Amino acid sequence: MHQLLDTPTQQAAQPQVLLQPSPAESVGMPAAHPLIPPVITVAKAAPGLPQATISVGGVNDIDPAKAFGSKNAPIIMEIFTDFQCPACKQLFTTTTQKVMDNYVNTGKVYLILRDYPLPMHAYSRLAASYARAAAHIGRGEEVEQAIFQSQEKWEMTGDIPGAVAAALSAAEMKKVQALVEAKTFEPLIEKDKHLGQLVPVNQTPYTVLHTKSGQTFPVVGFVSYDYLKPFLDQLIAQK
Amino acid sequence: MMQSAPFNYRRIIIWIGRIVLGGIFIYAGISKIFFPNHMLWPFFMLKFSVATNLANFGIQVESYRLLPAAGVAFVTYTLPFAEVSLGLLLLIGWRVHIWATLVTLLLLGFLTGVTRAYLLHMDINCGCFATPEPVSLKKILEDSSMAVLAALMTVFAFQEARRPHSWSAPAKPST
Repeated sequence: MHQLLDTPTQQAAQPQVLLQPSPAESVGMPAAHPLIPPVITVAKAAPGLPQATISVGGVNDIDPAKAFGSKNAPIIMEIFTDFQCPACKQLFTTTTQKVMDNYVNTGKVYLILRDYPLPMHAYSRLAASYARAAAHIGRGEEVEQAIFQSQEKWEMTGDIPGAVAAALSAAEMKKVQALVEAKTFEPLIEKDKHLGQLVPVNQTPYTVLHTKSGQTFPVVGFVSYDYLKPFLDQLIAQK
Repeated sequence: MMQSAPFNYRRIIIWIGRIVLGGIFIYAGISKIFFPNHMLWPFFMLKFSVATNLANFGIQVESYRLLPAAGVAFVTYTLPFAEVSLGLLLLIGWRVHIWATLVTLLLLGFLTGVTRAYLLHMDINCGCFATPEPVSLKKILEDSSMAVLAALMTVFAFQEARRPHSWSAPAKPST
């Protein structure tokens, strides 16, 4: 687990121009009534934002390239991740993969992956940029896997492009590289970070579970699939 | 007339040790069990929170790379409860010399682990409380101060345990 070391001064110094939330915008706002289908709104891309974000079941500013599963799922699961944090790697390579297979692909959970690069980690922001760019060309999962699997290597050298290239073809890598260099998705990463600060995320990984009845359950740190499974089942049964 | 036990510097140190270390141990144990996830109701949420918190503590224990998997599991599932129990026993004050010895040994163990991690430049959280704290010189100084206090408390508690209590009946004169 990794602690957020942002000081209030550092937070205030971060760019806020694109990130002013609307009054209704909050990660934990109540969802619609269980009998009413979820409202899915598509926000117009603001100037500077590369792509429109969507809102599902009261959760706003979702990058569709980083969201998985049915928007009608009874549970929405947001995970705030830092690519350089070992517990995030453990969560991604064990729990998230199983949640994806057993809950997301079966329509029970709508999974949103949020970036939350911590300032204490030198390369996590760059890793988030590569992963985001790869997600927008449809290779997000493979690249995230590659980045996490080689975490111990690139955290020493900073060679994230090397880790990413191993998961992509030369043409795909060229596209991703161009998107990263153009900083196309930086506003979306900033947006995720800003939402995390509203939660507030105080360490990574940080998971927020939203139910149809409007309840939210923060889960701080790593959680194993064996513990998460009965918890998710109970929440789904409660609907 | 019955006299109360006089206060001397040994007893003052024992009292300070009992209150300070007892409080810290109880807080450390409770924070590992119930935080950072603190959904306590209904029961399935409590169960989930406690299991997740202990699993997170387990990751911190493992990150020291000192123990095999079985050792990590043992420490993870016993240490927080042992800390609460020892803290309570210190505060209650019954057979202080025994619990003070155990507390001293535990603190020396923590100090060794934290110092080793610091000297090896390990970028880990100390796992002391629920809030992640990086292993640092400050943490080593904190652990050292607690270990010194615990050691003094132990020595003085043993000395006090050997002395007859001032309320106990005087030995019968031999005839």
